[in-house]
Amino acid sequence: MSAANPTNRMTLADALRALPAAAPTRDVWPKLAAQLAAHARTSRRRYFLPAALAASIALAVIAMQFVRHAPKDPVAAISASATVADSRASSKANDTTVIAAMNAANSTNANATANRDAQLAVLQSRSRALEGWLRRTGKAGSPLQGQDLAAAIEIENLIGLVDVELAAPGHANPLPLWQRRVALLDDLTTLRYSNYQLAAGGTAIAAANRID
Amino acid sequence: MMSGSSFQIELSLTLLVRARGGDVAAFEEIYRHFERPVYTLALRMLGDAEAARDVLHDAMLKVFVCIGQYRSDAPFWAWLRKIALNEALMRLRGARHFDADVDAVDTIIDEVAPPWVRADSLALERALGELPALTRSVLWLYHVEGYSHPEIAELVGKTTSFSKSQVARGTARLRTLLDPQSESSPCLLQTPQIG
Repeated sequence: MSAANPTNRMTLADALRALPAAAPTRDVWPKLAAQLAAHARTSRRRYFLPAALAASIALAVIAMQFVRHAPKDPVAAISASATVADSRASSKANDTTVIAAMNAANSTNANATANRDAQLAVLQSRSRALEGWLRRTGKAGSPLQGQDLAAAIEIENLIGLVDVELAAPGHANPLPLWQRRVALLDDLTTLRYSNYQLAAGGTAIAAANRID
Repeated sequence: MMSGSSFQIELSLTLLVRARGGDVAAFEEIYRHFERPVYTLALRMLGDAEAARDVLHDAMLKVFVCIGQYRSDAPFWAWLRKIALNEALMRLRGARHFDADVDAVDTIIDEVAPPWVRADSLALERALGELPALTRSVLWLYHVEGYSHPEIAELVGKTTSFSKSQVARGTARLRTLLDPQSESSPCLLQTPQIG
């Protein structure tokens, strides 16, 4: 293929971008609004009872803590504060021990960073392997139907969301995002795997099935 | 990634917070902002108004239901576009447009003045409509949405060469459709009509 003239290529891009934006002839919003309202009602029903229950339990726990720790009389309260003050004073003597512990913690932090990088590399490699398998077997499987199709779309969308987050600059720790990406790819692989086996007539195709 | 996508609309944080809180008026405001970009993308990719409406509906529903998962450190429009694109790609896969022939166009005559300079938008839209759905999608994602070839390859589950060949093929085919005299190029006569 010869290299396209950049001017002409840009001209086509400009021409395509200059095309007027299309709009649906019938407004989609009324149907969408009705579905959103229905969804909101369902969500409220689904979450109201557990949330109310959780709130009640939290309140009960707080109330019990308050009753348990409330001083019986003012003298006891003063005595309790004196004990706290004493313990603060004695803790100064332990400063040397604290510094030593911090040094040890710094060393542990360096190890933790190395460990995190290693985990990240493993996750990225696993992610590539799963994607490669999904690509290789994509053509062999028959199209997903019904609930499987809906689940696959949902998973693909969630992977897309993770990718958008990963693409955003300034991630101090992308590990959780990569863990989520691999978990989603695992789910998608499981979903496609049965479909792929069905399409292959139940024959195990070892080479294609290998995810390494 | 190149700029120029009609999706690049910055929304206020207040609007997003309201939408996250379930404010229907905020949802509608977001919908009105992105109605045309989503519908246009779907229409260009699928070439079918009804299917494009379905993509618009399903993508926006998904956006609103999943808006709690959106993190504000990435642009909202990019997140929304990804959802819309996935919806459109899913329909393309369902319609088996992904089985298109992947042969590359070997030669492109690029020295002559391109006919889309002279063509009006109606003629260009008609010519676009004549392209196979996958070729048209790749062409649109590359030229208008600014995706790179590797990005497109990943999206459609093909190789980078495939993306490049589809852009080359689409460009050549548009040239032929808009200026039938350019059909003298032998490679264009060999371009199969698939999709």
